[in-house]
Amino acid sequence: MHLTRFRFNTARVGARRLLSSPQTLHAAVMSSFAEILPAGDDGPRVLWRIDRTSRAETYLYVVSPAKPDLTHLVEQAGWPETGRWQTYDYEPFLSRLNVGDRWAFRLTANPVHTARRTDQEPTKLTAHVGAYHQLRWLLQRQENAGFKVVEKPSERRLLPEGDQHELIVSDRRQLAFKKTGQRQPVTLVTVTYDGRLEVTDPDALRRTLTRGLGRAKAYGCGLMTLAGA
Amino acid sequence: MSVLLMQLAGPLQSWGASSRFARRSTESAPTKSGVIGLLAAAQGRQRSDDIGDLTELRFGVRVDQRGTLLRDFHTAHRFVSGEALPVSERFYLADAVFVAAVEGEPELIDELHRALRDPVFMPYLGRRSCPPARPVDLGVHHERTLEQALEREQWRAARWYQRRHRNDARIDLEVLLEAAAEDGPVDNLRDQPISFDPLHRQYALRGVRRGSVKVSNPAVRPDHDPTSVLGGA
Repeated sequence: MHLTRFRFNTARVGARRLLSSPQTLHAAVMSSFAEILPAGDDGPRVLWRIDRTSRAETYLYVVSPAKPDLTHLVEQAGWPETGRWQTYDYEPFLSRLNVGDRWAFRLTANPVHTARRTDQEPTKLTAHVGAYHQLRWLLQRQENAGFKVVEKPSERRLLPEGDQHELIVSDRRQLAFKKTGQRQPVTLVTVTYDGRLEVTDPDALRRTLTRGLGRAKAYGCGLMTLAGA
Repeated sequence: MSVLLMQLAGPLQSWGASSRFARRSTESAPTKSGVIGLLAAAQGRQRSDDIGDLTELRFGVRVDQRGTLLRDFHTAHRFVSGEALPVSERFYLADAVFVAAVEGEPELIDELHRALRDPVFMPYLGRRSCPPARPVDLGVHHERTLEQALEREQWRAARWYQRRHRNDARIDLEVLLEAAAEDGPVDNLRDQPISFDPLHRQYALRGVRRGSVKVSNPAVRPDHDPTSVLGGA
C-alpha cells in the first residue's frame, strides 16, 4: 500500500475545476494508475481525501495498492517546475500497529443511515445533518473498525452529554455536483472527524485504513489517516 | 483573598460610565459600578442602602468576545398624556461575552455567591432591558488572586466565535484590572460607585490597568500530518 500527498496550487483554474467537483477529482485520481484496477471485490482500493488547512494550503491524500503517477495533476493544478508529489510506503507503518497504541486521526466521511417516515414506505438513504448524530455515527462504527475513540477526562468536558470523547466534527459540507449524462445532481453530506483513538484490533484497523469507512468512497470519503498523538 | 467569577453574556449589554442627558453611551467592557450594582441587587439591597463594603472589592474583567456596537434611536411617550419624552440615542454592545471578577474577603465573597445563586432582584447587563443569556455565576475561587482567576478560566466565547478562530490554538484576551497605587500612570474611569441613591448618585474615579491573558481555544483544528509517522519517500 502507498500513501501519497499532493498539494494543490489553488490559484490555478485547473485546481478550482478539480476541487469544485468530486466527480472530476475522482476521475483524475483514478487515471493516475497505469494498470487497470481490480473492481468489485473486497480487497484494498483507492481512497482519497482533500485536507483544507487554509485556502492556500489544500492537500490531496491518496491511499492506493499501486504507486500513483500524478503528473497530470501537477500539470493542471500544481507547480510543474518546483512542486511534485510524495509517495510513501504505507506497509511498514501498517504492520507496526499494536493493541493499545494511541494515535491522532482524521477522517472525512459520509455519515448516512436508512430512514422511512411510515412502515409502508421503502427505506431511503438519508444523511445525518446534526453534529450529535454525526458523532454517534462514528462511535457506532468504531468497534468493527478496530479502534476506540479516547474518552475525555471529566474536567475537560464542556457539555454534560455528547462531549465524552476526544472527537470533533468540522467542515460539514453539503455537496451537489453533476455527473455526466445525468440531469439530477449527486448530493452528498461530508464531515471531517478529528480525534484521538486507541487501537483495539490492529487487523480491523488496517482494513479500515486501506479499504475505507462508510459510503461515498469514490467521492473523497472514507479515508482515515493517523498521525502522532 | 477569594474571587467570585461571573459571565456576562447576552444579546445586548450596555455599560455606561460617563454619559449624561440624551446620549447614553456604553463602555466597551462592563463597569465596576454596573457589576457592583448587579451584586447589590442580587443581595436585595435598596438603592439608598450603604454599599461601602462592596465598593472595596477589587474588580477585573476579561473580554472574551468583543461584540459590536449598536446604536438605538429611542423614542418614548408618557402613557397617560401621550406627551413625547426627549428623543435619546442609546448605545449597546451586541453579542458580547465578558468574564467579570471581584476579589475580596472570603466571607463576603461567599455571601455574594449565595446571593447570585438566589437573587432578590434579577440581574441584568447594565440596563434593565438587557437580560443575561446564560447563568451569571461561574463559581468562587479561594486562594487565588484576581489575575490568576481570570487567567485560568476557560474561554467563554460562543461556539461559532471560537470556531471562527479555529486556526489559533491560543487566544489573546484583553483584561481590564483595577489598578493599585504602585501601578504608576494608568487610565481612569468614573465608575467607582459611592452611592446608588437615585436622589444623589455619586461615582469616583478608578484606575484601570490593561493587560492580556492567553487562553486555549477548545475549537482549535488540530494539525494533522499523516506523513510524519511514515518513513522516507
